Amino acid sequence: MSTVTVTRAAEDRWEAAADDGTVVGRGDVSRRPDGRLFLSVDVWQDAAFDRLAAAMLAELPAPLHTLVGDEDHDRRSSWERLGFTVGRRERAYDLPTDPRVTGLGAVPLPAGVAILPAGEADESRLRALDRAIREEVGATVGWHTMPAELVPGPPGDTVVDPSKYAVAVRGGTPSGAGGDGGAAGGDGGAYVGLVRVVRVRRRARVGLIAVRADERRRGTGRALLAHALNTLARDGVSTAWAEVDASNTAALSLVEGAGARRAGACLELVRP
Amino acid sequence: MARKANGLEMEGTVVECLRNATFTVELQNGHQVLAHISGKIRKNHIRILPFDRVLVELSPYDLSRGRILFRYRN
Repeated sequence: MSTVTVTRAAEDRWEAAADDGTVVGRGDVSRRPDGRLFLSVDVWQDAAFDRLAAAMLAELPAPLHTLVGDEDHDRRSSWERLGFTVGRRERAYDLPTDPRVTGLGAVPLPAGVAILPAGEADESRLRALDRAIREEVGATVGWHTMPAELVPGPPGDTVVDPSKYAVAVRGGTPSGAGGDGGAAGGDGGAYVGLVRVVRVRRRARVGLIAVRADERRRGTGRALLAHALNTLARDGVSTAWAEVDASNTAALSLVEGAGARRAGACLELVRP
Repeated sequence: MARKANGLEMEGTVVECLRNATFTVELQNGHQVLAHISGKIRKNHIRILPFDRVLVELSPYDLSRGRILFRYRN
């Protein structure tokens, strides 16, 4: 086997080259909006992985994170040899949108709750709801277990595009009804939950469903999911996908109860 | 987005999703390669689907294998 030489090609990139100059591996590091550093290493030779990763670990501050496929046992072992351990496990799901499959065509809304469709929520109140929910999560199950959002925004603001959010409102004035619940009037009521759906060409990603702590276990999350999937079905989008933390039993139950199919899993590894 | 071609990089179209984040990709020259997703793609939670146009880096050791570096928006 030829010798592998590792060089730092840029602030965020390393390269491994064989002695004939062929690039046999690359390593990248990027900082997520929550401040965590995530590594990735791609190689064509196993020996290059160890050299690249070792060079990166020597130059980067701890803690460091990386992602591997749940079935990629070789790569996981490679990272574990370097001191990484599983920090969280995330399942990917394909979500059908057809109400005949999801069973969410006629989900009753919790009493006193209505849903504002995407794009109709008051932006400042939506941002306040997002902040409040995140503070509640941070105070209960631990912020470090939450997945980071990938798209950077202004400091302290995680709502990048308010038009992607539908909002559950307690005490709002219903202005319509249907299988996905009534639409709420824009002004009255308290914002208690949200769902973010981003459409990507012919599919859609359910990126976030969250409900205020004192409003949980009443069916608001299910109603928000029903609203999102039914809206997609009406618009001709037949499938969505979502990633769910494997330790979040409530979320797993919610999506699996809606007919979601497992589409893989991902491990987030961390090196303290 | 424009991307500089570099070495053994070729554009192709995903024709089949296989297990373990592996895909069959048909290159512009008509050849099919077995490609897995790059760490950067995984890190950014980018979903690869059939018919997606992608940029593939071919292995210098086996031209029937590759790594998906980039998914084009359309």
